[in-house]
Amino acid sequence: MADRRPGTDDPAAPFALLDSLTRDTLDPGYERAARRRQAGIGSSKVAGRTWLIAGTVVVGLLLGVALQNTNANSAGVDQARDALNLDVANAQDREAELAASVSGLAAQVRSAQSGAADTGPLATLNVLEEMNALVAVTGPGLRVILNDPGAATGDSAILDRDIQLLVNGLWSSGAEAIAVGGVRLRVTSAIRQAGGAILVDNRPVAWPMTIEAIGDPRNIQQKFISTAGYGRFNSFVQLYGVGFDVTAAESLSLPAAAAVDNRYIETSPSATEPLTTEPTTQPPTTPAAPTS
Amino acid sequence: MYAVIALAIGIVVGVLTSPTVPDWLGPYLPIAVVAALDAVLGGLRAKLADTFDAKVFVTSFIANVLVAAFIVFLGDQLGVGSQLSTAVVVVLGIRIFGNAAAIRRHIFKA
Repeated sequence: MADRRPGTDDPAAPFALLDSLTRDTLDPGYERAARRRQAGIGSSKVAGRTWLIAGTVVVGLLLGVALQNTNANSAGVDQARDALNLDVANAQDREAELAASVSGLAAQVRSAQSGAADTGPLATLNVLEEMNALVAVTGPGLRVILNDPGAATGDSAILDRDIQLLVNGLWSSGAEAIAVGGVRLRVTSAIRQAGGAILVDNRPVAWPMTIEAIGDPRNIQQKFISTAGYGRFNSFVQLYGVGFDVTAAESLSLPAAAAVDNRYIETSPSATEPLTTEPTTQPPTTPAAPTS
Repeated sequence: MYAVIALAIGIVVGVLTSPTVPDWLGPYLPIAVVAALDAVLGGLRAKLADTFDAKVFVTSFIANVLVAAFIVFLGDQLGVGSQLSTAVVVVLGIRIFGNAAAIRRHIFKA
């Protein structure tokens, strides 16, 4: 190597390095071996052939193993992805099935209840169910349509906390029932963000997002306009070009929330007595802001 | 001719036996493949230029693979493994392109 190192004392030495990289692509050893052979001190032909065959077999082995390995790896990755996709699809099917059976059973319960007299404990039960968003409701109110044009590219301007603020503003403006993207909010509902997706009550909600709130049609909009959430989204419209459209609606129909799945609490028989009598003496209030 | 047959035998044996590559060797396999391609193209070019020497071919191949793997290993230990494997691939890639261009000029005279 020492005899052919172009331009080591060149001020542009790094460029000389790149230059030699592109120019001396052939190993200089070949040239030197050829010169040795011309001088008559080369290795014998048989030994050369043995070297050649051994070397090329090793090279071929390496290529074959790499080929096989790459194929095996890609097949494994594909299989894993397909299996995971299948798992997700199965779980979604099962969830839809269970949700359908829940609403079917709830409808049965309700029809059985309506057969019974509409007084006393049953009336209390209805009030409690309405408070816990367990029944579908209709009424006048506001419809807010949000759109985040950057959400599809992963550059979303609207975060979960903004929607939380907006929904809290709706509650404080006197909303009695709210659904975000078709998911009814109940006392324990959360609005969260997982990556770019907004989850309401652990269910993903797509853009554009419709927030419907049932409340007093005479003043809910005036009150809502003065909330912090409204102000924030108004500035978002100017800053980020998000869609924010508030309209009064004469009749909104909101679905029931998912049933509460209490797994650990048990009610003792004596504890049910005061619960059934309490709301008759005290009128039900709107649940406090349940988000975040 | 012997070289082509030996190469084919090697590939067939490698595919058929399909030995499991241990995990720690995984990152070095692609580097070794690039180094092997460089050696093969270099050998082919030397053959066309009538300067081929089997011993130079084998030693350059083995040394290239070992040095490339060592550089990547060192990079892994220093936390710059991916950058150094990029460097190895770039350097060997330039050589592969240069040799391939020389072979093309030799064959097509253009």
